[in-house]
Amino acid sequence: MTERDMLLKKIGTCKFAIVDIDLFLDTHPGDTEMLKKRREYTEQLMPLIKQFEEKYGPLTKDENAANKWSWVKDPWPWDMEE
Amino acid sequence: MFVYEKQLQYPVKIKNTNPALAKLIITQYGGPDGELGASMRYLSQRFSMPLPELKATLTDIGTEELNHLEMIGAIVYQLTRNLSEAEIKKAGFDAYFVDHTTGIYPVSAAGVPYNAATFASKGDPITDLHESLAAEQKAIYALHRKHAQRFYKFQWMLMIRQVLHPPTSIWSINVLTVKLSNS
Repeated sequence: MTERDMLLKKIGTCKFAIVDIDLFLDTHPGDTEMLKKRREYTEQLMPLIKQFEEKYGPLTKDENAANKWSWVKDPWPWDMEE
Repeated sequence: MFVYEKQLQYPVKIKNTNPALAKLIITQYGGPDGELGASMRYLSQRFSMPLPELKATLTDIGTEELNHLEMIGAIVYQLTRNLSEAEIKKAGFDAYFVDHTTGIYPVSAAGVPYNAATFASKGDPITDLHESLAAEQKAIYALHRKHAQRFYKFQWMLMIRQVLHPPTSIWSINVLTVKLSNS
């Protein structure tokens, strides 16, 4: 596994936890414990995304620090890096 | 409104191509119990949901199904890279290939194009939630098939979702039933 893949996997793991928490919160919107947990995961996720985007380009269109529109850059999620 | 994130929900990296397997997996993309139908079902049914919790739940699940759709597309795409004519014929992938080459098209394993008749949207929340529950059960059935088990880790992840989505629907039906009987 490349360094890029490893970092992406860490990001995916955090995002996955957040998706799960979101589904729970949708039916239990007043659960403060779970809201706290969501904040914890988000705090964990943000620096990982920042680290990834600085090195490998944007994960969302909002993040485009360079002078070039790096959103278009390969690889796209379904590509195999060969 | 949807915002794209340039990342699969779970990574897909397939080293060895396998067009015969792709022919079966494609049904998870556009077949009767596939992810396209799953997504369209939730995202259509949500409009007539009477409670904010239900609107939120169906929106979020329907969105997640789009993630799954993208992963299945990636699987089929990677399984059918750089094929020779002989490989295509030998695997029985030629029937798909003659119409779509290696483009990703929503069909069932038997080649029937995606059909919205595979899901319902009745505008009655109890009816629609039950239909969603039935759909999750059908999807679990599909994921248990032998061909699915070759992607053990990946299918396990999808399976977890199919096990997790029903409780939210059951919760919704219970809450709705209580609310309706009180009104």
